[in-house]
Amino acid sequence: MVSHTETDSGRAYAPTRVRRLTDFELTLPALVLLVLFFVVPVVILLMRSVTEPVPGLGNYVELLGSSTYLRIFTNTFLVSGLVTVVSLLIGFPVAWALAVMPGRAASIVFAILLLSMWTNLLARTYAWMVLLQRTGVINKVLIGLGLIDKPLPLVNNLTGVTIGMTYIMLPFIILPLYGVIKKIDPAILQAAALCGANRWQSLVRVLLPLAVPGMAAGALMVFVMSLGYFVTPALLGGTANMMLAELIAQFVQSLVNWGMGGAAALVLLVVTLALYAVQLRFFGTDRMGGR
Amino acid sequence: MSKPFLQIRGIRKEYGPVTAVQDVNLDVAQGEFLTFLGPSGSGKSTTLYILAGFEDPTGGDILLNGESLLSTPSHKRNIGMVFQRYTLFPHLSVGENIAFPLKVRRLPKAEIDAKVRQMLKLVRLEGFEDRKPAQMSGGQQQRVALARALAYDPPVLLMDEPLSALDKKLREEIQHEIRRIHQQTEVTILYVTHDQEEALRLSDRIAVFSKGVIDQIGTGPELYANPATRFVAEFIGDSDFLPCNVVSAGNGRAEIAICETMTVADIPLHGTASSGSKAALMLRPERLLLSKRQSESGLPVTVSDITFLGNNVHVATKTSKGNNLSVRLPFGHEAISGLNRGDAVWLKFDAESAHVFGQ
Repeated sequence: MVSHTETDSGRAYAPTRVRRLTDFELTLPALVLLVLFFVVPVVILLMRSVTEPVPGLGNYVELLGSSTYLRIFTNTFLVSGLVTVVSLLIGFPVAWALAVMPGRAASIVFAILLLSMWTNLLARTYAWMVLLQRTGVINKVLIGLGLIDKPLPLVNNLTGVTIGMTYIMLPFIILPLYGVIKKIDPAILQAAALCGANRWQSLVRVLLPLAVPGMAAGALMVFVMSLGYFVTPALLGGTANMMLAELIAQFVQSLVNWGMGGAAALVLLVVTLALYAVQLRFFGTDRMGGR
Repeated sequence: MSKPFLQIRGIRKEYGPVTAVQDVNLDVAQGEFLTFLGPSGSGKSTTLYILAGFEDPTGGDILLNGESLLSTPSHKRNIGMVFQRYTLFPHLSVGENIAFPLKVRRLPKAEIDAKVRQMLKLVRLEGFEDRKPAQMSGGQQQRVALARALAYDPPVLLMDEPLSALDKKLREEIQHEIRRIHQQTEVTILYVTHDQEEALRLSDRIAVFSKGVIDQIGTGPELYANPATRFVAEFIGDSDFLPCNVVSAGNGRAEIAICETMTVADIPLHGTASSGSKAALMLRPERLLLSKRQSESGLPVTVSDITFLGNNVHVATKTSKGNNLSVRLPFGHEAISGLNRGDAVWLKFDAESAHVFGQ
């Protein structure tokens, strides 16, 4: 508001009844909503992790000390990492194709991507169950072609979770990557070609480095989302590879152990925030333009 | 031109029903600086892109040292190019950008380092090798692009309006740099521009493009003194056109009548014209003589405006038929002193400095 008084210099500044709202005041309703319905419940949950059943860090000692829980942490990171890598491997060619495709073809692919995002998550996950099960389409086709003798175990294990989650995460990697690749001037790749770079050299030395910000943004988003994912691992995964979100649900719903549930939730929150900090540090908003 | 170095033979390019390049034929000598000059959409950039291998021609051939280039992909043509837009690799430093073509050729590191230093010296950017392109001005970026394009000693350097994004002063500065670098490296340069001044300043020869064909190829003075078509006359230098009637024509010369009061004989004729047909007379503002005294042999006109342009004074006049004719005179010329808007004056010109364009 200071700047307003300064621009009115030369004339006496008379305060009027109608005052412009500051940015902060404008965000107040949203802030209040967030604090009431998000921050407060989270804080309460986290408080319970250090107060139940007895005050202290007992829940954390148990959570981080036991090999059972450690295996769940390891599995959570393994699944998230796998999903991120596979999504990148599939997503990069798709994003690249989208960026160079003629407009009409690209809009069809976009429609397919968005349609899949808008379809109910449960429906999509059950669809994968139907496809991947022992007597599912994929196994039947493979047996029919004579490629395998007995059905492959594609569901209720790591393979099933990775396939199902990669499918769900793909749009989150394709869209930011598409944005970054689309911004790369085709003339830069033409220049690389005239400099003598073949397709592979252009890809590795020019296109990939320029797409790194998009890949990092997409990969981090997918990794973080995967860490806390619940539905797909619960339906497509087996009991042997439980993920952190399933553990939290089990603590709260089956065991009614709010203390341990809160502790697990805090661990998840800390990891997520740490990763977000890494992203801001290396790929802060000012570095996202491919520069 | 004893031995043709680069030959462009009947190049055509069609995009569906649209013909971008109709039939371009051109021989370029080694070490020549040849400019493609023309308005946008005249086919000059398309021809350059065919040379670069980014476009395949619908017909025709391009020979370098007698061998066809067309079946060679861009990255094996060994041609250098500087683009209109800034195309330095933004994630690489200036030095790494210049080293890029050498690295993909897998040259030894010592050789690459030496070449990068040599190139930076050539474009006078020593000490800038660790800068990122984003930290450099547009002019500096284009100089680095030039260094990158010359680092692998290409036989031909293509330049596609490399200075069009720069302001006038910087443009002139880099034009001088390009001239110096051309003289120093003796590389063959094909340069595309729509700016006649730039073309005249830089080139050994200019190919004037219009509607997908080359209207005329020649040195700047040749194009100025003897334009083959009305289009070339309009594009190189300033010119005005007067409708005229052909009295007689033959042997590339014509006698014409202007404004029914004046006839001039022995004017160079381009295109076809016969006795009684209509034609256009081209006059250059700087080749017209203005006189305040009435004369039988002069064309009577009225002064409509006088503009002072530094070392020149521009006098706009109108003929009795309402056609505009500009006259450019040096500042302080005796014919201008005391001249006012609305004055009646008489214009004279030398038959050799005028041109008649038939149908």
